[in-house]
Amino acid sequence: MTRQAPLLQAGPVELPDGRPPRRDVVTSAAEVASRVEDGAAVAIGGFVTANHPMPLVRELIRQGKKDLTVIGSATAGLEIDLLVGAGVVRKLIAPYCGAELYAPVGNCFRAMAESGQVELWECSEYILYAGLQAQAMGQEFFAWRGGVGSSIPELNKDLKVFPSPLGDGKEYLAVPAIPVDWAFLHVGAADRYGNGQHPGARFGDRIMARAADRIALTTERIVPNSEIRKNPLMTSVPYADAVVEAPYGSHPYASHGFYAEDAEHIQRYVAATAGLRKGDRSGLDTYLQTYVTGPADHEAYLVVVGRDRLGALEAEYAHLTHDRGVTG
Amino acid sequence: MLATTPPARAQTQGAASAPASWKEMMAVFLARQIRDTDRICSGAHTEISFAATMLAQKMHAPNLKLQLGGGAFLCNVADVEVDELPRTSVDYRIMAWAEAYFEHHDTFNHYGPPGGRGYYNDPAAWGGTNKYFFADKFFVGGVQVDRHGNVNLIGVGEGGRFRFRGPGSVGINDVTTVRDVFVFMTAHDRQRLVPEADYVSMPGPKTYRAKDLMGNGPQFIVTPRCVFDFHGPDQTAALVGLFPGHTEEEVAEHTGWELVKSPNFVTLAEPSPAELETLRTAIDRKGVLRS
Repeated sequence: MTRQAPLLQAGPVELPDGRPPRRDVVTSAAEVASRVEDGAAVAIGGFVTANHPMPLVRELIRQGKKDLTVIGSATAGLEIDLLVGAGVVRKLIAPYCGAELYAPVGNCFRAMAESGQVELWECSEYILYAGLQAQAMGQEFFAWRGGVGSSIPELNKDLKVFPSPLGDGKEYLAVPAIPVDWAFLHVGAADRYGNGQHPGARFGDRIMARAADRIALTTERIVPNSEIRKNPLMTSVPYADAVVEAPYGSHPYASHGFYAEDAEHIQRYVAATAGLRKGDRSGLDTYLQTYVTGPADHEAYLVVVGRDRLGALEAEYAHLTHDRGVTG
Repeated sequence: MLATTPPARAQTQGAASAPASWKEMMAVFLARQIRDTDRICSGAHTEISFAATMLAQKMHAPNLKLQLGGGAFLCNVADVEVDELPRTSVDYRIMAWAEAYFEHHDTFNHYGPPGGRGYYNDPAAWGGTNKYFFADKFFVGGVQVDRHGNVNLIGVGEGGRFRFRGPGSVGINDVTTVRDVFVFMTAHDRQRLVPEADYVSMPGPKTYRAKDLMGNGPQFIVTPRCVFDFHGPDQTAALVGLFPGHTEEEVAEHTGWELVKSPNFVTLAEPSPAELETLRTAIDRKGVLRS
C-alpha cells in the first residue's frame, strides 16, 4: 500500500455551521453497552473489591452480550466472576479471579474453568501489564523474565519463550500486545468532556485506558470543567469517550473516597454462587434476577439495595478515613 | 538464618491469655524473620502475611518499607492505630495507613535491586542505598507446593484441564528479582505438599538457578506444623523447624515426600506474651487469626 502525504489546507477552514462545540460525552450505561459488539475485548478497571464500573458491568449482562474477551484487573474481583457466571465471557484474561478473604477463588470462575466453559488466557500480573503496555505503545510484544520456568507459557500458547539476543543465555517471554476495544473504569469525578479524576488509588486503570481504543467512565459525580481545571494533576483519564453519572456506581464494592465495600452483599453473592460447581445455578439466577436483569437501570438497582444501606457504607468509610484526617 | 525467639525488647511485656492459634503462630514466625532494614511487598491479601508485616513494624521493625496490597505503597503502621486486619488487598483501611499511593503497574518499576545480583552476595554493601526497591523478602501462598519448592496457584489437573481450579498465579512469578521467598501453606497435608506440583506458578530454587533468575526463589516453606528449607544440588525440601506441639513423625505422615532433616534444624519458640498481646490488641483486634 502506498502511503500518501495528506492534502494541504491552502485557505481558511470553512465553517458553514459555525465553530463546532466541544464534544459532550455524557451518556447512559445502556447506550455505552449498546456500542459494545459481541466478541469485543472489554477491560474492567478497579482492583479486587474497589472501584469497579458496576452499572456498565450489569448492563453488559442485561443486554445479553456474547463471546466477550474480558480483561480483568491484575487482581480481578467478583465483578469478573459475575460476568463469567452470566455467560457473556468467552475468553478471560486475568491473573486472578476472586475476593481474597471473602472468597479465595470466585465460584463462577472456578466452576466455568473446571467445566471448560470459559477459555483462560493464563498469565501473571506483569504478563498482563506487559501485553497492555505493548498495545499502549504500538509495539508487537514486550519482553519479560517473569513466567520463565513456570507452566504459564505451556498453558498460554500466545506467549513465546526466546533466548536473549544479548547472548547471555537467559530466557525471556515475548508477551504479545493485548488488543482492547473498550476500557470501563470507575472514577470519583469527571466533567462532560471526558476528563476523569480518581480521588484515591488508581490501581491499573491508567494502563488499561492507554491500551484501549475507547474508554467509558462511570463517575460518582459529574463536575463542571472549572473543577477539573483547579487541579489538573488529579486528572488521571483525560480522554474518555463516554461518561456515565453513577453515584454509588461501584456498589457492592468500595469507591475510594466515598464508601466502603458492602461486606454483607458480597458474602450473599458468594453464598448464592456456591452451588454452581455442583451444577446448581438457582442461587446465581436469583441473584441475577434480583440485582441485574430485574432492575431496569442503575437507579432501580440502588432502590433495591436501599438508601439506608448506602448511607451506612458512606458512614463506615468516613469513620475510618476522614475522622482521622485522611482522605481518599 | 531463622530467628527462633522474639527480639529481646519484646520479652518483658504483659501476658496474653489464650494459647496461640496456628495462624497466629505462623504470623509471629514470619514477623520474626523481618529485619528493620527490610523492604518488602506483601501484595496479594492473606491475613497471615499482612499480620506478620504489620506486627514486625509495631514490634521491632518500624523502618520496614512496606507495600501492602495493590494500591497503597509504603504503609507504616508503627505508630498508627489499627482497628482490624484488612479484608482485601484494597481495603480502604490500608489506604488510610499509606504514606504514598502508586499505580499498581508502576510498583513493578521497583524490583531492580541496586547492584543487581551483587546485592544478594553482599547486602551490607548496599545497606546505605537510598533507592527504594523490593528485594528482601516476599510471601507467597499456594494450592500445592512440591519437594523442590515449586508453587502452584493455577490448579490441580493436567494438560490445561482442572479438577480443581485455583485462583491464578497473581504476580508470584513476576518477582524474579526478590532475594528470599517464603512459601506459606494454610494447611499441611499430602494433597498440598506433593512430590511434584501439577502446574507451576513460581518455580523452586533449583529452577531459579538453572534459569539464572536474579533472586534466590523460594527459601522456606512454612506450614501450620513446621518449616522446611532447601538443600543439595536439587534443592530439596528439608525439615528445619517444628512449631510447638508438633512432631517429626506427624510431619512425615502428612507430607507427600520422604522427610529429611535439615542440618540447620532449630526448635521454634512459641509466641511470647508480648508478641501475642501486640498481635491481638494492636493489629488483629477482631480475632481473624483465631477464627
